[in-house]
Amino acid sequence: MNGRTLILNAYVYAVLVFILVPILIILPMAFSETEYLVFPPKGFTFDWFGRFFSDRLWMQALQFSFQIAVATAIASTVIGTMASYALVRGAGALGSLFQALLIGPIVVPHVALAVALYLFFERVGLSGTLAGYIIAHTVLALPFVVFTVSAALLSVDPALEDAAMSCGATRFQAFRLVTLPLILPNVVSAALFGFIISFDEPVVTFFLAGIRDKTLPRMMFDDIEQNLTPIIPAIAVLLTGISVLILIGAAALRKAAENRTMPRFDEMK
Amino acid sequence: MLAMGEVGGPHIKAGGAPVEIRGLSKQFGSVRAVDSVSINVAAGEFIALLGPSGSGKSTVLMSIAGFELPNSGQILIGGRDCTRLPPHKRNIGMVFQHYTLFPHLSVLDNVAFPLKMRGIAKDERRRRAARALEVVRLGGYGERMPKQLSGGQQQRVALARAIVYEPQLLLMDEPLSALDKNLREEMQLEIKRLHSELGITIIFVTHDQSEALTMADRVAILQSGRVAQISGARDLYERPTSLFAAGFIGEMNMIEASWNGTEVTFAKNFSMALPSSAVIDDVAAGPVMLTVRPERVEVMPEGTPGTASARVDDVVYAGAGTLVIASMACGGTIRARKGSADLSAIREGDRVGIRFPADAVLIYPRQA
Repeated sequence: MNGRTLILNAYVYAVLVFILVPILIILPMAFSETEYLVFPPKGFTFDWFGRFFSDRLWMQALQFSFQIAVATAIASTVIGTMASYALVRGAGALGSLFQALLIGPIVVPHVALAVALYLFFERVGLSGTLAGYIIAHTVLALPFVVFTVSAALLSVDPALEDAAMSCGATRFQAFRLVTLPLILPNVVSAALFGFIISFDEPVVTFFLAGIRDKTLPRMMFDDIEQNLTPIIPAIAVLLTGISVLILIGAAALRKAAENRTMPRFDEMK
Repeated sequence: MLAMGEVGGPHIKAGGAPVEIRGLSKQFGSVRAVDSVSINVAAGEFIALLGPSGSGKSTVLMSIAGFELPNSGQILIGGRDCTRLPPHKRNIGMVFQHYTLFPHLSVLDNVAFPLKMRGIAKDERRRRAARALEVVRLGGYGERMPKQLSGGQQQRVALARAIVYEPQLLLMDEPLSALDKNLREEMQLEIKRLHSELGITIIFVTHDQSEALTMADRVAILQSGRVAQISGARDLYERPTSLFAAGFIGEMNMIEASWNGTEVTFAKNFSMALPSSAVIDDVAAGPVMLTVRPERVEVMPEGTPGTASARVDDVVYAGAGTLVIASMACGGTIRARKGSADLSAIREGDRVGIRFPADAVLIYPRQA
C-alpha cells in the first residue's frame, strides 16, 4: 500500500517535471544579455522587455491580440452562458446533441478545425479580419465557458427563479436579479478563460492570419523563423505571468461562488 | 372571513379573492396528472389539497401559480381568467417547500423584492418590508442574511415575502414539510393566525392529513388526478364519500360484509341493522365493505349479547390510549383504540366480544 503510494507520487511528480521543465528553461533565457537565444543565459538584463514594449510592430500585434481576446471573452461568455442556461434548465430531447456540438471544439483537433474555418472564411470573406478571428476564437472558448457556467448553474436551485416570478419578476428579471448574481463569479471566471484561450491561440490564428494584421503568437512565430532573439522568451515570461494571474483570479472567483450559493436543503440538516 | 385584517400594531390589509378551477386537466406524456378537476374556493377561504404523491395536487397548485400550463380547463382568480397568464402577472403570493430565499440578498431585501418588481420607491419598500417582517414576528432581522437564520425563521421570511404586496391569494406548496415536528406545529398556528388576520384566500398543498384537517376550512382529497372528496374536516373524517377517502384519512377498519338492504352481515353470520344514513351512495344488496373507526369499536366481555366473538392478538399500550388488535371468527382483523383508563385488563389471547354502534358504521360498494 505504502509502496504503491510512493510509486504513484513519484509518477505524478515526474509528469509535472516533464511538463514544467521546458517552461523553466525558456523563462530565464529572457534575461540573457546575448543577441541570440542561449541556455544557460549569460548575464542579466531587462533589455528584451524594453525592446518588446518600444517596438511598433510588436505593440500592434499585442493590441490586435488584445482586441480579439476581449471581444472573444465577451462573445463566448454571453453565448456560453445562454447556452448553459438552456442546457441545464430547459434541455429537451435535443439537449445532448446541442451539448455535443458545443463541446465539440475540445475533441476535434485544432488543426482540423483551423482548416475547416480557413476554407469557410476564405469563401465568405472573413479570413484575416477581426470578425473572423473573434468568431473562430469564440468557437474554441465556448466549451470552457459552458463547463464553467453549467457547473455553477447546477448548484442554483431552479425554484429560486420560480419564487422570483411568483414575486412579480419576468423570466428574464428572475435570471438577471437572482440567478446571475449567484453564478457571477463563475461567469467572470469563464470570461477570463475565454480571454486566455484567444490571447495565445496559435493554430487557428496561423491559418487565418493575413499579411497586415498579425496576432501576438503569429508575430512570435515569424520572429522565431527570422531572428530568434531573447525577445521571444521575454514575451513568454509576460504571457505566462498573465495566464497564471488570471488562473489564480478565476480559481479565487469560483471559491467565492461556492461559499455564496445556498447549501441545498439536505446538506443543511 | 372576508373582513379586512386588523392587526394590533403593524398591519397589512389584504382580503381574499375567490378562485374557481373549472375542468382542469394536465397530461404529462401518457400520464394524466390532473383529470378534469373542478374546485370552487370562496373568497378568504383556507383550502387544503391533500393527497399521496402523484395525486396531482402539486400540478393543480402549479397551474394556479402559472408554472404549469393546463391542457384544458380554466382558472379564474377574483373572477379574472388567469389560465394563460404568466406567473408574474397573477399577483399571487407563493411559499415553496424549501424556503427559496434569495441567498445573495439580505432578509429585508428578500421581503422587499416583490415591491421592487412593482416599481415601488426604495423608502416605501423598506418600510413595508419591515412591517411584513413584524407580521411574521421577525422584526429586527432585516439586516441578516438568509443563511444566518434557522429553517423555521427562513420559512417565516418566505411567508413575509409572499404577503408583503398584499396579494389576495396565497399558495403554499408543502411549506412545512422541511421543518421538524415542533416547528411545524408552531408554523401551523402562525399561518392560521395570518389567515384570520389578513382574510387572504389560501390554497395549501400537503400530504400530511393532520395538517390539512387542523388548518383548512375545507380539504380536497386528490386521488390519481381527480378530486375524491372535498369537504370540511369533520365530514371528511366522519362521512368519507368513497372507500379511498375512508382509507386515506385517519385509521379505518375495513371488513368484508354482505348487505341485504337493511342488515349487514359479517363474521360468520353476525348481523346488525343499519340506519339509511350508513349507506354511502345507494349501495346495492350484495357484497359490501363495512368501515368503522377504531375509536368507535367497543370491546366487551365475550358472550355479551349483540357482540361478535374475537380473539385478542395484541395489546399495545401507548399512555393515554391503548390499541387492541383482535381477529374475528371470519378471519378479519379489527383494531380498537380505547382510552387506557376505560379498558379493563385485556391480555393477548383473551376472547372478547366486539360491537359497533350502528351510527359508527358506513358501508361502501366492495370494489374500488
